[in-house]
Amino acid sequence: MNAAQPVLAGEGISVRFGGLQALNNVSIEVPRQAIMGLIGPNGAGKSTLIGVLSGLLAPTSGRVRLDGADVTSQPAQQRARRGLARTFQQPELFAGLSIREHLMLAWRVRHDKARMWQDLVLGRAWRRPDSGENERVDQLLESLGLARLGHAPVAALPLGYSRLVEIGRALAASPQVVLLDEPLSGLDAQESEQVADVLYGLVGSEGVSFLLVDHDVDTVLERSARVMVLDFGEVISVGTADEVRSDELVRAAYLGDAVDTATTASGPTDKKVGHA
Amino acid sequence: MIAAILAGFALGGVYALASSGLVITYVSSGILNFAYAALAYFVARFYYYLHVQHGWGLAAAAVVSIVVTGPVLGVLLWAVLFRFLRLASPVIKIVVTVGLSVCIGPIAILLFGNQPIVSPPGLAPQPVHVFHVLGTDVTMDQVIVYACAIVILAGGAAVLRWTDAGLLVRAVVDSEAMASLSGIRPSAVAIGVWSVSTFIAGLAGVLAAPIIGLDINSFTVLIAAAFAAVIAARLRSLGTAVVVGLLMGIATSLVERYLPSTSQFTADVIPSIPFVFIVIFLGYSLIRRGVVREAQSLGGPLDRAIAPQGGSDAALARAASVAAAGRRLTSWPLPVATIAVVAILPLVLHGLWTGMVALGLGYAVCFLSYTIVTGEAGIVWLCQITFAGIGAVVTAELATKQGWPVLGGVLVGGLVCALIGAVIGFATLRLGDLYVALVTLAFGLLVDNLVFQINSISNFGAGIAVPPPGFATTDTTLSWLALAFFAVLALVVATLRRSTFGFAVSAVRWSEPAARTTGLSVVATKVWVSALAATAAGIGGGLIAIYTAAAVPGSFATFSGLIWMAVLVTIGIRSTSAALIAGLSFAFIPEIFATYLPTSWGEVPPALFGLGAVLVARNPEGTLAMHARQLEQVMSRRRRSGSLVDVLTEQTGELAGAAPPPDLAPAALGKGEA
Repeated sequence: MNAAQPVLAGEGISVRFGGLQALNNVSIEVPRQAIMGLIGPNGAGKSTLIGVLSGLLAPTSGRVRLDGADVTSQPAQQRARRGLARTFQQPELFAGLSIREHLMLAWRVRHDKARMWQDLVLGRAWRRPDSGENERVDQLLESLGLARLGHAPVAALPLGYSRLVEIGRALAASPQVVLLDEPLSGLDAQESEQVADVLYGLVGSEGVSFLLVDHDVDTVLERSARVMVLDFGEVISVGTADEVRSDELVRAAYLGDAVDTATTASGPTDKKVGHA
Repeated sequence: MIAAILAGFALGGVYALASSGLVITYVSSGILNFAYAALAYFVARFYYYLHVQHGWGLAAAAVVSIVVTGPVLGVLLWAVLFRFLRLASPVIKIVVTVGLSVCIGPIAILLFGNQPIVSPPGLAPQPVHVFHVLGTDVTMDQVIVYACAIVILAGGAAVLRWTDAGLLVRAVVDSEAMASLSGIRPSAVAIGVWSVSTFIAGLAGVLAAPIIGLDINSFTVLIAAAFAAVIAARLRSLGTAVVVGLLMGIATSLVERYLPSTSQFTADVIPSIPFVFIVIFLGYSLIRRGVVREAQSLGGPLDRAIAPQGGSDAALARAASVAAAGRRLTSWPLPVATIAVVAILPLVLHGLWTGMVALGLGYAVCFLSYTIVTGEAGIVWLCQITFAGIGAVVTAELATKQGWPVLGGVLVGGLVCALIGAVIGFATLRLGDLYVALVTLAFGLLVDNLVFQINSISNFGAGIAVPPPGFATTDTTLSWLALAFFAVLALVVATLRRSTFGFAVSAVRWSEPAARTTGLSVVATKVWVSALAATAAGIGGGLIAIYTAAAVPGSFATFSGLIWMAVLVTIGIRSTSAALIAGLSFAFIPEIFATYLPTSWGEVPPALFGLGAVLVARNPEGTLAMHARQLEQVMSRRRRSGSLVDVLTEQTGELAGAAPPPDLAPAALGKGEA
């Protein structure tokens, strides 16, 4: 593993849906042990890019590298087993499982794949889960504030909790990199701060990297080591938060006048002045 | 040649009418009506009842049955049933209309009598006038079919395209929500659509009767052909459905003309033509598009936005959450208690009734197949009975012809089914719920027509003898043997539920994208769960064959399988105890009717089973789970701790003391202060 090598990279990715060029020659590098921010107005292609990186969408052209290896032709589940996890803009939970079971499943797929058949054939399903699994799941539930809800079914959870379960499921697989598609929307300021703290903490303690997409531009700029700005499927700026803030193109195309007020307590809607 | 094509146009015209009625209701209400052929049969049978049995004039009988009864039936069904289904999950929609199809036939027999009908009249006056056109004979019945097809299809297209009524229908199809905001009453449009659709069903039924015969089984061909046309139309395109319907009619007619009419092969091929069309169109779509699904196409963005939890899974999601909450209760005490009670039954009962326990347990083992594939994986298969038939046939083949121990035959029968199940699971991977149901129905009917008819398998209808194992020659020991099989498979289901693989099945069921990005293989999960489900059905079939002492393929007809499903769903699709109770009910109830009630009551049990499945529209969990949940609610009210609402309430500090229902509370808590 080369520390300078990005943990996840997209190279020259283009996606075309019929007549619509959703992404045009976009390259992105998610550095190791850091948060990479991705912002852009609605329809800029952020979710499409996450779809391509996670393997759910095939790019028209371009390559995806995970930990240096070319995974462009690998399906989503193989990328997941190599340490790539993601969350969804509309939470995609497994309505038949409890919160805890979401995390257990993700942990086992990565760390104890043999259980898939051993549970049934050797009756392991009736024995207690491994201590390693329990420890990890408990710790994640605790840090996400879900400890007391562990056995609750997810079907009736409010949006904010659903997002936390998705993040927990992603992290339970001990990933190298997690793609977070608007993890903070639906959370209030305090919850948002709490989740951002958890993510930030994991970067330091476990060396996980994140690609963070969110409408809460303040949080993204504040927490990310580097930020990329997409507009109409093209990269218009990449750099540190300060570089992006002062980028003329970004000011013109996306942040507009709101850049000056970004440090004040204005709401995120003020900044979404891009393209309706 | 010309005669064959003209005859083909008549059959094709009936197919085209039927499939256009199906497409209209699917497009406007999102419901693919599996009871369509049954409705057609009901109206045709009523027409025969009035015209032939009661001597009404042709016109009066036609008006009362087709013009009045058909639409009234449609509106009635919409009012009491279909309007509640619009936002239901695909599984519920399929089950409810399948239940309806199961109960309509028996109800028609109860109402109109059970006499054999040799040559039912169509709409032409008797004796049927014959025209001579282009050197061939064309009957008045055929001419009437051409006229009806042209008038209805062209008229319907014109109404949809150029009239205000058509505009209203198209508006509601595009977006019910937007249409109601514009002042249109969607319910008025729905009433119109359902009455037109059942009118067309009735007309198609009456026109079809002289061609295909008037009994519920011959109408299966009608429904299979209509479904094939609808699949080719990808459920939406009226024009394609009509063209494919006509083509199938012509193909059938040509096959009839050019294959030797006396051969068994011809007799087998003719009813199989719709399935060939189904395979061709689905294969073509899959190769061209990669996936064939139906869900995303209904309504507009506003409809999707205001649909609870993003759409039709809401009801099942709620059921799933309730089921998960009640899991403690239904986990092991109930199945263990049920099995214990059933173990005592053979000692308490005697004679025929002990045998019914053995037979019922055979059914129960088959029903576990639904518990696995539909209850756990959320996939609707309509061909479990076919697997049971295959299991029975393999058992007979190995035990009687090859001299194997009979239980070895049962197990190998299960394995053969596992293989076929895996293939079906794989082939239907990328199909939407409705298509999977249709494909499995087609598979079942195809095996009925092509495999189960082979004389070396069916032994000319009598079936190949199956000896009981040496240690279980009495009904009592046979019951215990079947119970042992059931207990083992029920344990497998229970283990599946708490196993990692079971979690994976649930994951794939509820979100394929999230399952894949969690590292799960959708292909492997679906294929394995399919194989497991098919195994259960195959083993059950073997056990049934042991009880009946012969493997009679005719007793495993696909349409009887719909009754199986109706019975199980009524009692509960997710619980092993429900499978056990459903199996016994399916054996006992008809036998009780046959023993203690007049023969004419014989059609009541299937009607009851079908009605039970219809009630699933109001209670998706089934009666057993419903009572379990009520019990659980009473108990949890006493405990008052650890529930989702309690914890959320405590965590958010809001709604303290209030006890809203679980599915409402979290929405209110969504933006609560932490």
